[in-house]
Amino acid sequence: MAEVTYICKRTVVSTKPVQPGKHCSLSVLGHQMEKNHVRMVYYYRWGRGEGEAGEMTKRLRESLSEMLTHFPIATGRLIKNDNGHWMIKCNDAGVRMVEARAKGSVEDWLQSVDREKELKLVHWEDMLYKPYFWSTFYAQITEFEGGGLAIGLSCTHLQADPTCATMFIKAWADTTLAHKMRAPPHFHPLPPRRPGNKIPNHKPYTSLINHYKVLIHNSTAFAQAKHTTVALAFSHHMVKACMGLAQKSSGPSPSPFEALAGLFWVCVSKVKGLRNGLVNMSICMDTRKALGLDRGFFGSCMVYNKVDSEGLKEHELSQAAIAVGEVVAKMDVEGVMDLIEWLQHNDSQSPPLMNNDLICSSLEAVDPYSIKFVEEFEPVRVSYYVEPVFGIGQVFIFPAPAGEGLFGRVVMVTLPEDEAVKLCEDELILQFSPTILMGVNKNYA
Amino acid sequence: MDPSGATHSATASGGAGGAVGVRIQQSRRLPDFLQSVNLKYVKLGYHYLISNLLTLCFIPLIIVTLIEASQMNLNDIRQLWLHLQYNLLSVVICSAFLVFGLTVYIMTRPRPIYLVDYSCYRPPDRLKAPFDSFMEHSRLNGNFDDSSLEFQRKILERSGLGEETYVPEAMHHIPPTPSMAVAREEAEQVMFGALDNLFTNTNVKPKDIGVLVVNCSLFNPTPSLSSMIVNKYKLRGNIRSFNLGGMGCSAGVIAIDLARELLQVHRNTYAVVVSTENITQNWYFGNKKSMLIPNCLFRVGCSAVLLSNKAMDRRRAKYKLVHVVRTHRGADDKAFRCVYQEQDDKGKTGVSLSKDLMAIAGGALKTNITTLGPLVLPISEQLLFFSTLLVKKLFNENVKPYIPDFKLAFDHFCIHAGGRAVIDELEKNLQLLPIHVEASRMTLHRFGNTSSSSIWYELAYMEAKGRMRKGNRVWQIAFGSGFKCNSAVWKALRNVKPSQNGPWEDCVHKYPVKKLS
Repeated sequence: MAEVTYICKRTVVSTKPVQPGKHCSLSVLGHQMEKNHVRMVYYYRWGRGEGEAGEMTKRLRESLSEMLTHFPIATGRLIKNDNGHWMIKCNDAGVRMVEARAKGSVEDWLQSVDREKELKLVHWEDMLYKPYFWSTFYAQITEFEGGGLAIGLSCTHLQADPTCATMFIKAWADTTLAHKMRAPPHFHPLPPRRPGNKIPNHKPYTSLINHYKVLIHNSTAFAQAKHTTVALAFSHHMVKACMGLAQKSSGPSPSPFEALAGLFWVCVSKVKGLRNGLVNMSICMDTRKALGLDRGFFGSCMVYNKVDSEGLKEHELSQAAIAVGEVVAKMDVEGVMDLIEWLQHNDSQSPPLMNNDLICSSLEAVDPYSIKFVEEFEPVRVSYYVEPVFGIGQVFIFPAPAGEGLFGRVVMVTLPEDEAVKLCEDELILQFSPTILMGVNKNYA
Repeated sequence: MDPSGATHSATASGGAGGAVGVRIQQSRRLPDFLQSVNLKYVKLGYHYLISNLLTLCFIPLIIVTLIEASQMNLNDIRQLWLHLQYNLLSVVICSAFLVFGLTVYIMTRPRPIYLVDYSCYRPPDRLKAPFDSFMEHSRLNGNFDDSSLEFQRKILERSGLGEETYVPEAMHHIPPTPSMAVAREEAEQVMFGALDNLFTNTNVKPKDIGVLVVNCSLFNPTPSLSSMIVNKYKLRGNIRSFNLGGMGCSAGVIAIDLARELLQVHRNTYAVVVSTENITQNWYFGNKKSMLIPNCLFRVGCSAVLLSNKAMDRRRAKYKLVHVVRTHRGADDKAFRCVYQEQDDKGKTGVSLSKDLMAIAGGALKTNITTLGPLVLPISEQLLFFSTLLVKKLFNENVKPYIPDFKLAFDHFCIHAGGRAVIDELEKNLQLLPIHVEASRMTLHRFGNTSSSSIWYELAYMEAKGRMRKGNRVWQIAFGSGFKCNSAVWKALRNVKPSQNGPWEDCVHKYPVKKLS
């Protein structure tokens, strides 16, 4: 039974023409992420009386057009520059928008949704063999016949990471609400290291660079069983409890990300059947804050780093969390600048990364639950995906709605199906009584 | 000095080294009299002399009368009065004839037609089609082969269109979704947009409209577009409504002519003329080159004009209609097939433009101005033309025909923005200055070829630029399939300011845009 029916696909251009001849280059960090794309879904629920079917879609279409005037990089197309790297030609060709309709109401959908169904709400097309005609951004608006709306956005990771994509949606929401954008975006290359900050005898942070070297050489994807995604919400108190558990008696308190990352590292290793030692894990951090970029920076800033699992034979939460913490601390401005400079000098023509480890991404910088398209209606659910999943699996950790408290977090885990089931039944996880927002659906209606 | 343009060849003498001699034709002619500065002033003087000839002839007569009148004394006046008394009967009969003749003359004069206001539709900004988006869509819909795509790209670049022209909703979809319902939606959107604006600006009540003429060449559903308007605005039951279909880009002037003739018959009423074109179902999805050009040129637009024959509207009207001249060249087979809608070998429908389009347009224009010239040109130009014609017929066959200077007859020109080639051709043929064709070029740049409504966008441009002064005469020229060339002449009744919510309101400060060659 087709629950989601596609109505049409169209191109949306900006309302004011772009200056001709403009080009935007992409950051080296973005180049590494070419094989990935970001997908997000935002669910909104408002009463059935809020305007007829299609009216909200029309409004969103117009506000998208208005807002794209400020995002020439999103309406441009990819071309290769003289060095053979991708850059964007700002030719105002537009973004694609798909309109769809779904049966039932948002609440019904959310009760029985799973990964496969949710991805139907976010349209994506892989790069065409002629990339000049390929749109890098796709938006989908699905109206639920029983009330509610789902807004999906997908974009290539070359240009935008989840933080950027959230910024894009926020700009769209602000334009729909008030025809004004609160924080217009900036497009500029990553800043170089500030000369005053050069520490004499500075040893470059080699492990980060080495990690990338390894990734670049070993970039092949494992053939995988069918993946599924589960979403678990941890309340403020539970996350605090987790942090408490993860803290070694005398040491500093881990951050929510470190605690939860440690928790899932341990649990995923358990469900994979590893008795001694933990699976290979990389964390993926948003380096905006580390690099001191302002909030309006638009570009891909996610950096991987491997967490050392040497000497972690037992499935002990605090040790895992501390290991994660150490790696996070090392990814400061110096470390990341070293990596960026190495990547710029290396200038290799090698294909971009396909990371096979368990990837644990921190999306602490986003605030998706505050994005309102209509006054007083915040999203009821937000989901993030970075596709495709190459190796062991993925874990995304991002803030829960503000009402849940400072430390409330939502975790989205993508694993092969049987492992995901086992994960949801794992005792350590259940100790923190998460609410299962999206579970594994055995029954397909 | 040679009396008549002698030419002699000068051979560039190569040296003894056997260099190839290049023949350079150097023609030494007399300086072109019409271009030399001194002659220009002579011509102007001649023009003023002939225009005011009648007045000049009267001056001696007036002088004589004044001299006689001053020499009259009371006795002479008494004599005059006695003469009148004796011949009372003949005097009364003469005056009666005079009054009767005057009355008949006044009654049979055509009623003046006033253009109260007009409105041109500006589509929403999200329907804009920048070049790259257009090319991307053409490629992605899969119907065009590479050479067709390349051809369309070249035409687009040389077309004179800008990046802000509007394309209907259905063409923004991938794949495009033209259908009758969507075409109706486009028609409703443009027509009702223009009419709402017109009614708001003029405060006319829909029930006061007695005549409605709509022209749209390529889309003719049943019920007609004029019925759609009657339905939407609840016009009155005895309205005289007409829907002109298939008449091409010159149908706007034809509609004005029809409205004018109806307003002669129906007194004291308003007429609304709506000119538009429908792009949705008329995109060509095949690969025949002659049929691909309209894809690159035609864009969404609509105009609505309010005409009145009420005397009281003279005060608030913008223009008065002076002449309409219609010329049809359909009797000539080549002209008839010049713009032809047909199906290609694969069965796809499109409008094909023949290669002789420019030549035929030039010929149609010549026929039109032959009729229009005597109506509008000052006597000075007509005499010159006539005398050159006499000389040509009777004495010397080789004298170049005199092209009357229409710049003396008109202050503004609205040339249908059919494409850059049409405007260039007319600029050359009529010897116009760049400022005269600026409105046409800028309309083509901003809105593309909106078919029959483009002459109204051009008029709006001139108003927006503040160039329309009282007494200025405007010449609107439209070409269209058939092959037809129609002209309308208007006279401004006051210094015209652009109406509210005009199509150029947001962007006139950016124009004129430099011509990119």
